Amino acid sequence: MSSALTSSATAVPQMALKAARSAQRRQIRTGLLFVSPWVLGFLAFFLYPFFATLYYSFTDYSGLGAAHLIGFANYWALFHDSLFRTSLFNTFYYTAVELPLSTIVALGLALLLNMKIKGMAFYRTIFYIPSIVPIVASCMVFVWIFNPTNGVMNSLLSNLHVPGPDWFFSVSWSKPSFILLGLWGLGQPMVIYLAALQGVPKDMYEVASLEGAGPWHRLRHVTLPMISPIILFNVVLQLVVCVSYFTQAQVIESQDVGGPGTSTWFYVQYLYTQAFQFLKFGYSSAMGFFLFVITAIITTVLLKSSSRWVYYAGDDR
Amino acid sequence: MITAPQVLPPRTSPQPSETWARRRWAPQKLLTSASKHAVLLIFTVVFGFPLLWMVLSSLKSNPQALQSPVVWWPHPFLWDNYPNVINAVPFYRFVLNTLLYAAITIVGVCLSSSLVAYGFARLRWRGRDALFFVMLCTLLVPFFATLLPLFILYRKFHMVGWYLPLEIPTFFGSSVFSTFLLRQFFMTIPEALSDAARVDGANEFYIYSRIILPLAKPAMATVVLFQFIYCWNDYIGPLIFINNENWYPLSIGLSFVLGTYSTNWPWVMAAAAAATAPIVILFFFTQRTFMGGISIQGTGTKG
Repeated sequence: MSSALTSSATAVPQMALKAARSAQRRQIRTGLLFVSPWVLGFLAFFLYPFFATLYYSFTDYSGLGAAHLIGFANYWALFHDSLFRTSLFNTFYYTAVELPLSTIVALGLALLLNMKIKGMAFYRTIFYIPSIVPIVASCMVFVWIFNPTNGVMNSLLSNLHVPGPDWFFSVSWSKPSFILLGLWGLGQPMVIYLAALQGVPKDMYEVASLEGAGPWHRLRHVTLPMISPIILFNVVLQLVVCVSYFTQAQVIESQDVGGPGTSTWFYVQYLYTQAFQFLKFGYSSAMGFFLFVITAIITTVLLKSSSRWVYYAGDDR
Repeated sequence: MITAPQVLPPRTSPQPSETWARRRWAPQKLLTSASKHAVLLIFTVVFGFPLLWMVLSSLKSNPQALQSPVVWWPHPFLWDNYPNVINAVPFYRFVLNTLLYAAITIVGVCLSSSLVAYGFARLRWRGRDALFFVMLCTLLVPFFATLLPLFILYRKFHMVGWYLPLEIPTFFGSSVFSTFLLRQFFMTIPEALSDAARVDGANEFYIYSRIILPLAKPAMATVVLFQFIYCWNDYIGPLIFINNENWYPLSIGLSFVLGTYSTNWPWVMAAAAAATAPIVILFFFTQRTFMGGISIQGTGTKG
């Protein structure tokens, strides 16, 4: 009798454990069922092509027929390709200027808009709209405004007796022209920063003021730490956008209205040309994978450094 | 440049100095307010001018547009530029192609992203957070790092030349942004609603389709809106996969207008304005949906 008791006593938790396990399995099954569209998509449209890119990067492949393994030859060729270096430099230049500049301007505008001021909705709308203008349309407008001979910008500059540059047609000014075009459309991060600023608790400012903090100190020691996670989030996302810079340059160069020589020959444009014009899929796969590696390194550095400058409220990390 | 709102030091009781302080502060407040508006107005000109110049240029005659010094105001208003450039290219065809592309991907995104978001937001299961993290990480990989094998694959299935390569992935949760946005929204719906339904014996799909989705209409509206604008703007996708002129979307059609008529700027500007107007009008009618959607992106993204 005593043995029956003990056995049933151990059986109960075992049964409960079994029930809990099967419940857990059921939960996993239901969860996976709901996210299965994405899981399938991830496998087919991300994981497969990601590894296939890595594989093709070691091959000589025209996109048709068979791919021949050639080891690291594509990568060696890349480092001896001056056009590759030029395109890498141009993209680096664009990213290194555009990313910090757009972050600072977007943040500055968000701070301006966050002030208690009449007509805030009007200003916000005006600053935001350029970011939804179709990219090709914004290229058209900028090429026209910055037209060297008939554009309104150089006409204004000549009124001020400043000789206007050739903008999109000038080797030294074409990259800054693209950066200006990019800055015009920074509405998206601006609105994100504005939402973050409005989420900073008001009483923190009151406490800071009571302790004698001026506007600059409040910005430096309250506002910026509080929204630093959002800044990190935005910078990391914008990084991918910057290194993949393509559309604007392709539109303007393919229509022969700017981008002289290789001055605005960006990385992804070179990749695109190698693949779809010269049918060197192996070579451009190597470029694709190299782009991923560079992006991953910069992102990792950003995330690692974030523990120094990103403040997580209610977190002791 | 940045002036934070002035905060008066708190006073325990109204004293004679209070009125003095108010008198001293009032003009200063007016001054700071004026300087704020001045800075904001400068930026208003910077951001607004290109669009204004686009519209003004589109109403000029070509000699007027090229005149030096610059003619600021078109005289007379040459509205004919619009029908002329629209009839010079298959504009409506381009618009129709774009609308079709947008419509199909909107269906795909709404179906798949809402399902996936439900799985990530409303269900508790082991491995959920890890998978969600993987999904976010895919955002950090450049599109061109995975494009080429997909192109080769689609060509094997004879899909290059159609919009299918751009449409199919949207049915498989390819729009991470939409999934993320819907997840954030779903998480704000009280858990008690789901629990009550579960007690009544409802299964998860029922809760998803009959309880959560009807409540998520505003978030779904945002997703539809952003997907529409994405398609209206998309240039890279069609450039790679569409090779037949009859199937070009508006973005590629516009780029040819720029190349073909780059000596006739009023026409180019009229085409640009015609492509921009629908988006701007749409924005004015749905501003709240818009701004709400972007703000969601910036919340709950810690860690």
